Amino acid sequence: MRLYDPTTSRRQRRLSRAPALAGLQGKSIGILENGKLNAEAMLREIGLLFQERHGCTIRAVYSKSNASAPAPAETLARAAREVDFLITGLGD
Amino acid sequence: MALASARVHEVPDDLLAAIDYCYEQGWTDGLPVIPPAVERVHAMLAHEGRAPETVIATHPATGLELSVHAAAVNAVMAGCLPQYFPVLVAAFEAMNHADFNFHGSTASTGGSAPLLIVSGAYAEEIGMNADVNLFGPGNRANATIGRAVRLILRNVFQMIPGISDKSTQGNPGKYSFCVAERARGNPWPLLCEAQGYPRGVSSVTVFAGGGFCNVENHGGNTPEQVLGSVADAMANYGCISLGQSVVMLSPEHMRIVAGAGWRREDAQAFLFSNAKRSVDGMKRVGKHRDSEYEKQHDGGAHVLVEAGQFHRGLTPDDILITMGGGDAGGHSCFIPSWSRGRGSIMQHKPIGVCIDPN
Repeated sequence: MRLYDPTTSRRQRRLSRAPALAGLQGKSIGILENGKLNAEAMLREIGLLFQERHGCTIRAVYSKSNASAPAPAETLARAAREVDFLITGLGD
Repeated sequence: MALASARVHEVPDDLLAAIDYCYEQGWTDGLPVIPPAVERVHAMLAHEGRAPETVIATHPATGLELSVHAAAVNAVMAGCLPQYFPVLVAAFEAMNHADFNFHGSTASTGGSAPLLIVSGAYAEEIGMNADVNLFGPGNRANATIGRAVRLILRNVFQMIPGISDKSTQGNPGKYSFCVAERARGNPWPLLCEAQGYPRGVSSVTVFAGGGFCNVENHGGNTPEQVLGSVADAMANYGCISLGQSVVMLSPEHMRIVAGAGWRREDAQAFLFSNAKRSVDGMKRVGKHRDSEYEKQHDGGAHVLVEAGQFHRGLTPDDILITMGGGDAGGHSCFIPSWSRGRGSIMQHKPIGVCIDPN
């Protein structure tokens, strides 16, 4: 009996990671909050740890109107221009 | 013709062993599947005119693609007959719309399932159930089309419980959630007509359904009484949000509502006006969010929105209401949308045809 495989390996695009920063000292931080209750507050707390330990600066807060969809391309493009790294997260 | 590059598994000619093989590969929803034998997949593909490598839907996060071929394989596994295939294809084309957000609605802790409502003559042509036991088991078309949706989400898009499906509790619709809109005795225009499709074209509507709430009312004799109980279900603190709704009126309830001369629009307006909670009440249970209230009450607010009240949805058009179920019984249902708000918006597509928007 010959069975077709029901899964797929076809992907529209390859996934890749952004290159790592050379270091964290003095870098600027962006926070991308997903609109869930307390998301911004928690992410800010994480940002403050970077501030305290690595002399970083929280420069901008960005928001997603839909927690379960990717951030708009223009939001990510703006973040890439304005900050050195982004703190974000998933969760309710 | 199938995909030339499709992977084939060679297994012994033992049907029961092949069923076990499918389990061992992790291809099932927990129930036995029909082993996707190449001959059956070819027969399924014959009911789709496009090439098997045609991409129907793409996962926005992973880029994984659903081809016509892969859809056919999973349709066979679900137990679909070939004539059901156009419904499944149209459903995923609708789910692929960014505003439906099939990734979010599947991955979320919210545990929704795609509800398919098939409207028009094609539902009857393929033997779907729009009548007694509408949302229950027993009808092959209803059961297997809905099941194929889940198998595709699992096998093709790898939305696997515990890994990329984080539903806290899920809901039974995740096995299968597919019905036909009842045309027999329906006093209102069918959904396919209301959606603007040409005469003779059937449609499938997809909706990220968060659950199922039976609305029983055997004493109400006016539209206000019947729909009042529906509105109350819609406004329960566990469901109320800015999200959309599906309401399926039983024929008994529809006779009361439409018999009094109420059109679909009248019912939608009543439900929207009455499916609401006070701001104080929302605060009392910890569900009030200023941003959500403002979204509903800002400058573009619908005329029926009341100050100090939080309504379900943004406008009456957020409520899909039609008829389904058996002739006897004052039992309608309300199906809430996934998500606290506008994370998924219902979509629809024609079945088996391409409509030129011009």
